Amino acid sequence: MDPITLAIHATPAFVASAVEFVEATTIVLAVGVTRGWRAPLFGTIAATVTLAVIIATLGVALVAIVPEHLLKGVVGALLLLFGLRWLRKAVLRFAGIVAIHDEELIYQRELAELRAQGLQRTEFDWIGFLVAYKAVLLEGTEVAFIVIAFGAAGGTALTAATVGAIAAGVFVIALGVALKQPLTMVPENWLKFGVGAMLCSFGVFWFAEALGMEWPGDALSIPFIVAAFLGASWVASRMLRGLLPEGARVEARNV
Amino acid sequence: MDSCQRALAWKPEMFRTIWSTLVGLLIEDGQLAIGALIALAITCAIAYSGGDQGRDASGYVLLVMVLALVVANLYRAGRMVRARVSSAQR
Repeated sequence: MDPITLAIHATPAFVASAVEFVEATTIVLAVGVTRGWRAPLFGTIAATVTLAVIIATLGVALVAIVPEHLLKGVVGALLLLFGLRWLRKAVLRFAGIVAIHDEELIYQRELAELRAQGLQRTEFDWIGFLVAYKAVLLEGTEVAFIVIAFGAAGGTALTAATVGAIAAGVFVIALGVALKQPLTMVPENWLKFGVGAMLCSFGVFWFAEALGMEWPGDALSIPFIVAAFLGASWVASRMLRGLLPEGARVEARNV
Repeated sequence: MDSCQRALAWKPEMFRTIWSTLVGLLIEDGQLAIGALIALAITCAIAYSGGDQGRDASGYVLLVMVLALVVANLYRAGRMVRARVSSAQR
């Protein structure tokens, strides 16, 4: 696999998946610290198996049955919708209208909620199992979507995107195991901003390719599309800051 | 109530959350999602009815429409928040 293909398909998948893995790790850590590790580990394994079944059936069927240009069109459209959601929220966060995503705060809230549920040491902790299962399944679904999206060209692109996502999972989980605390040092808000722009860019790129357009330089045009999205987001963020003075922005979060 | 019963009591809520999160994966702001779908439909129309030129321009048209949509949607969101803050202050 040439380095350009690897950089284009594995790096965005790595960054986007890392954000999702950080969120799942925070919840699993909170469950493990408050209620013991057995149930959340079983929950994580069960969710991973569920995801594997979903990907093996739906994902493989999609790639094997749906013609490539149609798959690119569908994935492009879904990717655009998915990416716009991320980008919109990221701009609102940077403009101060939505509270910044705080992994430490989420961790502390989760700890308090799990402690309030109570635990008897003699029985299997189903609540711990379900909380971990739900977190890993939901964030994992997003990771699966990201891999399919960035690897929609099939072949090496899909392999590179899968490698990127697996590397992100190994990296984040290893970090979580080593530190045993929420990964607050990961600049999630900046990553989400960048990932939102990347997802939208891939969406536009795939959808136009599905219609038969040939982008100049093929995949090399993607960084320029990303730059356009980042530029528009910057303009929107500045505009929002102009619309709402500092005090009103803080107040807006509580309205 | 043992752990299993409490966990079962969580089930309906859990499935509701999973469903709303899955839908929320794609749609958070309805107008933004509808705007994006309209932009995709217009792009298809241009690509299929505009011949080679239309097809070659389709990506740029989609890009410009989506960028405009992002800025317009966020402007609308900002205006709405400003209106809500103003009415809360009164």
